[in-house]
Amino acid sequence: MGNSRSDIDTGEVLFKQGNKMAVQGIWSGTISFSLVAIPVQLVKAVEPGRVSFRMLHSKDYSPLARRMFCPEEDAIVHPDEIIRGYEIRPGKYILITNEELESVSPQRSRTIEIVEFINMNEVDSIYYDHPYYLVPTKGGEKAYRLLVEVMRRTNKAGLAKFVLGEREYLVAVKSMGGALALMTLHYSEEILPDEDISPRGGEIEAEEKSRIKKIIKKMMADFSPEKYADERRKKIMDLLKKKAKEKVPVEAPQVEEEEGEGPADLIAALKESMRKVKMKR
Amino acid sequence: MAGGTIWKGYIHFGDTNVPVKLHTAIKEERIQFHLLHSRDHVKLRQQMICAYEKKAVPDEEQVKGFEVEDGKYIIVNPEELGQTAPESSRLIDVHEFIKTEQIDPIFLDRVYYLEPDIHLKGYNALVGALMEMDVEGICTWTMKKRSYLGALQTNGKILRLNTLRYADEVISVKSLGLQKIPLSEKELKIGSDLINQLTGFFQPQKFENEHQKKLHTLIGKKARGEKIAVLLPRRLKPTAPDKLLQALKASLKKVA
Repeated sequence: MGNSRSDIDTGEVLFKQGNKMAVQGIWSGTISFSLVAIPVQLVKAVEPGRVSFRMLHSKDYSPLARRMFCPEEDAIVHPDEIIRGYEIRPGKYILITNEELESVSPQRSRTIEIVEFINMNEVDSIYYDHPYYLVPTKGGEKAYRLLVEVMRRTNKAGLAKFVLGEREYLVAVKSMGGALALMTLHYSEEILPDEDISPRGGEIEAEEKSRIKKIIKKMMADFSPEKYADERRKKIMDLLKKKAKEKVPVEAPQVEEEEGEGPADLIAALKESMRKVKMKR
Repeated sequence: MAGGTIWKGYIHFGDTNVPVKLHTAIKEERIQFHLLHSRDHVKLRQQMICAYEKKAVPDEEQVKGFEVEDGKYIIVNPEELGQTAPESSRLIDVHEFIKTEQIDPIFLDRVYYLEPDIHLKGYNALVGALMEMDVEGICTWTMKKRSYLGALQTNGKILRLNTLRYADEVISVKSLGLQKIPLSEKELKIGSDLINQLTGFFQPQKFENEHQKKLHTLIGKKARGEKIAVLLPRRLKPTAPDKLLQALKASLKKVA
């Protein structure tokens, strides 16, 4: 995975890279309901529609890679030498290993156990956080298909909790267009009360309401999201097209690939688990 | 309490303007970890490294490039990007109204609360109208130099703005390359019965974020120098395709 995408910290709007990324697994494990267990992978369901810029070095136009850096030694740190720390007082850390982290909820870190099914229309949209897809892995295809089909027929969704990285997610798994979609949900304690900003007093004026209803009636339609495009993204694409005509693109110097012993991957994995599923915006 | 006001503007449709203030509706609290160097426990930071020179690159030497083909880039500077920012506006422009439940949850992004601003007349009437007609408004607006698509909705008390993902941001199910696998009516019937048996009401209060507490306990133990038992994650044995019906029957028996 490219690790210098500039959307990470600048909030810059980027372009999607096609569906190549879609099949990249974020997590693999098992989804279960009652006595049925299905091996699955968690994959992305949305790709922020951001035009993907790469950060380059202005001197040589070489791409930049994001690496963990020790300010004390003024050096890049090998992933094997990175550990997670919880700060108990300034500069004083409690070290936590990956194994210890997994031990907190060992049963939930590899299994999405559906504990009950619900009617999806009972879920207030304020609970929805981030969508993913689950895809079956080897041997799970048939049971997966069954779960997709019976949830479609019954119009139900499964509720489960599972642990990914440092967080435990409450999720709803539902049938969508022949696949299982997994939506992470907010915990109810994360939803701020709205009483303090609710309108106080002031009856609904019947006349004003019926006037508004008339306008709404004239404006009724069916939801068709394709009608709306991100204006900013269009402008950026126009800008890029214009520049591509006017100027010859710059060329990055040839570099041999980083050895496969893994700094890149492990770093990516660590970063993933740190950021994991913050996974959005 | 709702989060602070982050934006002020007007809901606009037909010839009506309803003044509102936008508030955040969600507050996530989680334990913050830092990445440290295992040798000296120095807090690490992320640094951009030049792939060619293998050296850290200071901010002022970083530029943005759009890759047109392998290794070839168009450089775009911040001023040019700034010009693509949408014009700032104070209007939440409602384009149409739709029946609720039409939006698949995959499109739903985050919710903001809308507080009435200046006067209540239009606000209260809009809450009433949306509620009675069971509709929500599809709208666009500009906030913090970004253009947003959203659904204007009500929960019966207040108005809310639910930001929506753009259609081309949603990855299609087709691209997942799922196989069609035939199932017997019997499997489907027992599967459906089982799901109906296991159905309850959505009660989000039942689910606590226990994990945070457990993490705190783990940190506390380590701080006191206690030993931590490392438990290995268990992987469930997948249900074999030819045992599926049997597993469904056994499940149904268990819950019935």
